[in-house]
Amino acid sequence: MAKTLFEKIWDSHIVVEENGRSLLYVDRHLVHEVTSPQAFDGLRLNGRTVRRADLTFATMDHNVPTSDRSLPILDQTSSTQIKALERNCKEFGITLFDIHSPNQGIVHVIGPELGITLPGTTIVCGDSHTSTHGAFGALAFGIGTSDVEHVLATQCIMMEKPKTFEINIQGKRKNPHAVTAKDIILSIIRKIGTAGGTGTVIEYRGETISELTMEQRMTICNMSIEAGARAGLIAPDEKTFQYLRGRKYVPQNYDECVNLWRENLKSDSGARFDKSFTLGAENIAPQVSWGTNPAMTTDVTGTVPFPDEYGKGNPEEEKGAEKALQYMNLKSGTAITDITIDRVFIGSCTNSRLGDLMEAAKVVKGKKVSSQVRAMVVPGSQLVKKNAEEIGLDKIFKDAGFEWRESGCSMCLGMNPDILAAGERCASTSNRNFEGRQGTGGRTHLVSPVMAAAAAINGHFVDVRELDLN
Amino acid sequence: MKGSVIKYERDNIDTDVILPGPYLKIHDYAELATHAMEGLDKDFHKRVKPGDFIVAGKNFGCGSSREHAPIALSYSGIKAVLALSFARIFYRNAVDGAFLLPIEIDESAYKDISDTDSLEVDISTNDIKNLTKNKTYKMKPFPELIGKIIEAGGLFNYKP
Ligand code: SF4
Repeated sequence: MAKTLFEKIWDSHIVVEENGRSLLYVDRHLVHEVTSPQAFDGLRLNGRTVRRADLTFATMDHNVPTSDRSLPILDQTSSTQIKALERNCKEFGITLFDIHSPNQGIVHVIGPELGITLPGTTIVCGDSHTSTHGAFGALAFGIGTSDVEHVLATQCIMMEKPKTFEINIQGKRKNPHAVTAKDIILSIIRKIGTAGGTGTVIEYRGETISELTMEQRMTICNMSIEAGARAGLIAPDEKTFQYLRGRKYVPQNYDECVNLWRENLKSDSGARFDKSFTLGAENIAPQVSWGTNPAMTTDVTGTVPFPDEYGKGNPEEEKGAEKALQYMNLKSGTAITDITIDRVFIGSCTNSRLGDLMEAAKVVKGKKVSSQVRAMVVPGSQLVKKNAEEIGLDKIFKDAGFEWRESGCSMCLGMNPDILAAGERCASTSNRNFEGRQGTGGRTHLVSPVMAAAAAINGHFVDVRELDLN
Repeated sequence: MKGSVIKYERDNIDTDVILPGPYLKIHDYAELATHAMEGLDKDFHKRVKPGDFIVAGKNFGCGSSREHAPIALSYSGIKAVLALSFARIFYRNAVDGAFLLPIEIDESAYKDISDTDSLEVDISTNDIKNLTKNKTYKMKPFPELIGKIIEAGGLFNYKP
């Protein structure tokens, strides 16, 4: 029978199956400081060990400061959490990329970078954006702390089989430097809604997807969770194999693996998906979110909607939009390009990789950040930072007036000192514009790195299709 | 289970408002509880009583995988969240850690139940009795696996 890529990976990882619920084997388990301490406590309490410490990798990313790393961490509670992870990894024999490691970074940036993420594998992490790793054709699920403990103890996860959802992106973008992967995924979420993918694993397909770089594919899969999906997947191809070749943790028999992956890891023609959605790429414009969830997004050429226009007859949606506009302090009918901003954040597991920074730097080069704006770049990992510095991106950003920081989650979730003040408005390359996400009372507009860079220079949103980005 | 309702007529109540990021560093569950729902309702912790239910719209708990969200609600005294639908990770966290029951209800029950109503929930019959309005609604039954994990008292007590 013709199978989807998801079904192939799922089936090959079943340990036991009974009435649609399965115990799945986990190939890679990624751990960070925020969702793991209670799980390790649980292990100790019950006298359990880590079943496969060799398949478990840890880093610290969520609450680490992005300022000078040679200084001690001032925040006592952050420091406690970081020390707890150090202790736990030592006790249980887990590889840790700590705050001083050249491999430290956001867990979803370093997994692929180090070749821990591999096609056809199952990956879990106590973090919802684990869906990112699906860009390599890995089945990657975000889980909570109880499940983290379960995986540490058993190397397995108990799940009900998700449904399959095919999203086809057809045609080609007119200006791929201005209309980025971020704009594609925001357009998708805007159309299918924040619960549009609930209970499904999305496979992204089509011409535009094959055209994207691995980093751009990660941006797409990263935000699958924002559509409520359990995971996102893209079938691996030559770009995938090329990207991973030579990375630190890829298998020794890499060429053999590639042959197997090439042959097996795709949806068979004629495979049936439970759900399907098609989006044309030609008419996608740069996107800007105006509300308090990622579906509340519009074209940069658009205006802030009226609640009834957004609700389209659904009173709940209408009320949601009203509340969102109130929180965002925006007036319906305002042109998106008239919205002025106070802060710019280029970073997060969605958009903090070398390619993102290179694209943003094109906009910034030789210009100055608007005097109204405080802007920062937070590379996704130490390796991204190093590579960027080698080609002089740090200088371009710093000369323009950006802050150039150490790697981590930073202002994506406001757990460290990088936060918005109440009422501040931020153009952010992260993935969530929830109320208070970047700081209590802070207002987030989700955009691509080029859009964020252009907003930093101009002090308001601009249509980056009007810039020369080639 | 009997308790009174705290109703939020909202869809997409996300984990960042249920338990804002800065508090993810807190280990003490009782202290976490004092920040529950802080992003949406500053007075929640003053108002909530042991045994209370939250009633909300679609996609409750969307966003982050932080188990701190169901933990904070649970240690505030919330026994169950009754919502039109749930985000998956929140749902599994609530069940796996046996923190609270994520109960799916239909539109008519959602509309009918008001803030401060007294409810009695029986998951063996799937009945939700509204003691204030003297009405009964049906909850959506738990899927088999979830029902069994709940019965066992969490993932670690569950033996397939
Ligand atoms: S960058 Fe943001 S979304 Fe990504 S893992 Fe860190 S906190 Fe989560």
